[in-house]
Amino acid sequence: MSLGCGVGLWESAEVRFNPTGQISVFTGAHSHGQSHQTTFAQIAADELGVPMENIDVVHGDTDKGTFGMGTYGSRSLTVGGIAIVNACKKIVAKGKRVAAKMLEVNEDEIEFKDGEFVALKSNKKKTIGEVAFACYLPGQRDEMKSPIPEGDEPGLIESSFFDPVNFSFPAGSHICEVEIDPDTGDVKVEKYTAVDDFGRIVNPNIVEGQVHGGIAQGIGQALHENTQYDETGQLMTASYMDYTMPRADNFPEFNLGFTCTHATSNPLGVKGCGEAGAIASPPTVMNAVIDALGGQEISMPATAEKVWKACKAMKKSNTKAA
Amino acid sequence: MKTFNYHTPKDVKEASKLASTSSAFLAGGMTTIPSLKLGLATYKDVIDIKSIKKLSGIKVKGKSVTIGATTKHAEVAASKEVKKAIPALAKLAGNIGDAQVRNRGTIGGSISNNDPSACYPSACMALNAVIHTSSRKIPATKFFAGMFETALKQGELVEAVEFEVPEKADYQKHPNPASRYAIIGVFVAKYKKEVNVAVTGAKSCVYIDKDLSKKLSSSFSSSAIEGMKLGHSEMNSDMHASSEYRANLVSLYTKKAVEAC
Repeated sequence: MSLGCGVGLWESAEVRFNPTGQISVFTGAHSHGQSHQTTFAQIAADELGVPMENIDVVHGDTDKGTFGMGTYGSRSLTVGGIAIVNACKKIVAKGKRVAAKMLEVNEDEIEFKDGEFVALKSNKKKTIGEVAFACYLPGQRDEMKSPIPEGDEPGLIESSFFDPVNFSFPAGSHICEVEIDPDTGDVKVEKYTAVDDFGRIVNPNIVEGQVHGGIAQGIGQALHENTQYDETGQLMTASYMDYTMPRADNFPEFNLGFTCTHATSNPLGVKGCGEAGAIASPPTVMNAVIDALGGQEISMPATAEKVWKACKAMKKSNTKAA
Repeated sequence: MKTFNYHTPKDVKEASKLASTSSAFLAGGMTTIPSLKLGLATYKDVIDIKSIKKLSGIKVKGKSVTIGATTKHAEVAASKEVKKAIPALAKLAGNIGDAQVRNRGTIGGSISNNDPSACYPSACMALNAVIHTSSRKIPATKFFAGMFETALKQGELVEAVEFEVPEKADYQKHPNPASRYAIIGVFVAKYKKEVNVAVTGAKSCVYIDKDLSKKLSSSFSSSAIEGMKLGHSEMNSDMHASSEYRANLVSLYTKKAVEAC
């Protein structure tokens, strides 16, 4: 048995509300360009009612944080993000008990809203920062009584492991228009439109960036990138002088749109978005190329020479038919 | 990278004197430095000629444009004089590599290296260029000797390239999508009595396509070469393009160049 194999799986998070008011959020999901630092800080800030600037997201180090499963399958927000939300909910729950003691009311008379614990009857309140600071005060002294309720420990640190009941199911539709120069076989992507349903979107700018990156990668796969070996197994495309990475001038401006059907498998209603662009764009581009070639099959990548040959074959069969 | 002696001679004479069987002249370093770093080439002495002022600059006089060996591609591309006299040459220089390459790479370096996919050699061939070296003047047709080979002898340094101003000219290239070197590049130059079609990227060394040149000399229009089939048995065939595809591109881009003239 190996740990972490399979799909689905849980993710972990730990939220440390420090006495200074600064919050460290530890996540088992790792960010390598997906801007988790921003998205995770946003959802923790929403839960705790604090500015996101107060939140430091720590990832990629199990020496510091909890053991995690990692980033794959577009699951960092849908699984790792929910673990963060749940840990924050535990922080708020403990905060309520502490605030109740500080405000000398029963716990069920406290409401937490926008970073404040409010005693409903008296309207007296404590901010979450004040409550967190109180959690770190020393124990009982002559003139100062600790606000930590009996049965609770000092400090304000909570962790959570989230194991979703099901996957999230993002869906979308991508359409593109290509133009082929039959004399050279050059394929130009003229227009590209993508509409995706990622459930609730936490940060539209980041999501758009994820889709852009995915589409770019997919167009690269469909038209340009090609690993080639010679007959002895020597890699011939060993540098970017020979291996074609797509560049900015290979793309049109992408038109993006979103619909928003909340996922039912997690409390935020979010869905995975990281892979959508890369999954949809190769078939979208290839279908357009094949359509332009009158239905002729062509393998990826549809390089200029391959397309040129297909155009020649098409011309021949058209001449015959005529 | 192996260690080497680095020299900065003050004049051409001193530079030539420093040369040996294990030395390289360094200008923009666009090929020499990567070759050194990758261990593809090792030299005892690297002779940096960038500080020899005489080697850089552009002069237009009557029907000739002379470009100093260490003149950068970006300088040629931006030169008002070149744009006026031979706009196709400025256009060619402006499409070499990328901005970094154009701001370091030099014409002397490019032609001395004679990469089979380089752009400049085709301009030299089509524009009846004469290569001025530290010891003689060599016509372009004699200068480019083979793949990465030139007529330069040990210690002989390119000082300038003198182009003959044509009536009309154009350069068209089909760039390799990865490196953006020419898969093929065609330089067409029309003079009063002749037309030269020089091709780079298609074979192991730049060449004048005699058939295309002849046809266009008698009638300078794209219809004159319409449907002309070029032999491709000597053309390069590699993972980027087959010889058949290259032959197709050469005739296609020759037409494009004629139409753009």
